[in-house]
Amino acid sequence: MTDPLLLHLTPDETELWAQGLLPATRDAHVAQCAECRTIAERERKLIRELARLTRFAPEFGFVERVMAKVKIPTPSGPHFRPHTNS
Amino acid sequence: MAWAKQGQEAAFRELVRRYERPIFSLLYRMVRDRALAEDLAQETFIKVLNAIGSYNPQFKFSSWIFKIANNAAIDHLRKRELETLSLDGSPHATTPDEMSATAPQLGDRGETPLQELEARELGGAIEHAIARLRPEYRTCILLRHVEGHSYEEIARILDLPLGTVKTYIHRARNELRGYLEDRRE
Repeated sequence: MTDPLLLHLTPDETELWAQGLLPATRDAHVAQCAECRTIAERERKLIRELARLTRFAPEFGFVERVMAKVKIPTPSGPHFRPHTNS
Repeated sequence: MAWAKQGQEAAFRELVRRYERPIFSLLYRMVRDRALAEDLAQETFIKVLNAIGSYNPQFKFSSWIFKIANNAAIDHLRKRELETLSLDGSPHATTPDEMSATAPQLGDRGETPLQELEARELGGAIEHAIARLRPEYRTCILLRHVEGHSYEEIARILDLPLGTVKTYIHRARNELRGYLEDRRE
């Protein structure tokens, strides 16, 4: 079997490294392999940038606009009654 | 009876409140048009809430709602691809005046307040890079790295084999890095 210290990281392992989840045996490879470290650091930078992206909000009143068009089921069964409370 | 209905209404409202931002953000980044993204988000919530009785709790609710939102975005993008105007204007235009009137105005960006807001929100390098990805790569990367879904969840949302999802995400990240490096050089 090949020594895990010598094997380059797979794309899955690169993502794990970027998230700080790579097992120690493979982490040791990154510490000694400049090529894997460069790739993994670039990957981590991108993943962090993506995770920081804004969560946009729809225009104010979105919930009310949706609720005005949703049918609320009545407790008596499969009958639906249009929601009129807006 | 009335209290039960109110209870249902309150639960529906809570669901919309909890998911409005993630669903709207995904759709906005997919179609890059605020008004359209809001229409698609409304369509998604109405579909989900009206079909809540058929929801299978074996699956995560978030997977179900993201699947419906993604389908709405992909349907729209397919339609838009068919309807895309050429730079010469509408294919139905028969005279030079009609062609010129229906041609896309390339210099018009940012003229209305809504366009200005869109340019501000989606104008950054990373947003531009995401926009350049093919739609299936874009959905995968947004679900994985913005929404934090697992690969397995993404495979369920998109009805794709797990291996395909992994390939799409790895390729998408490579492309994103390439686009970002191009811009920085």
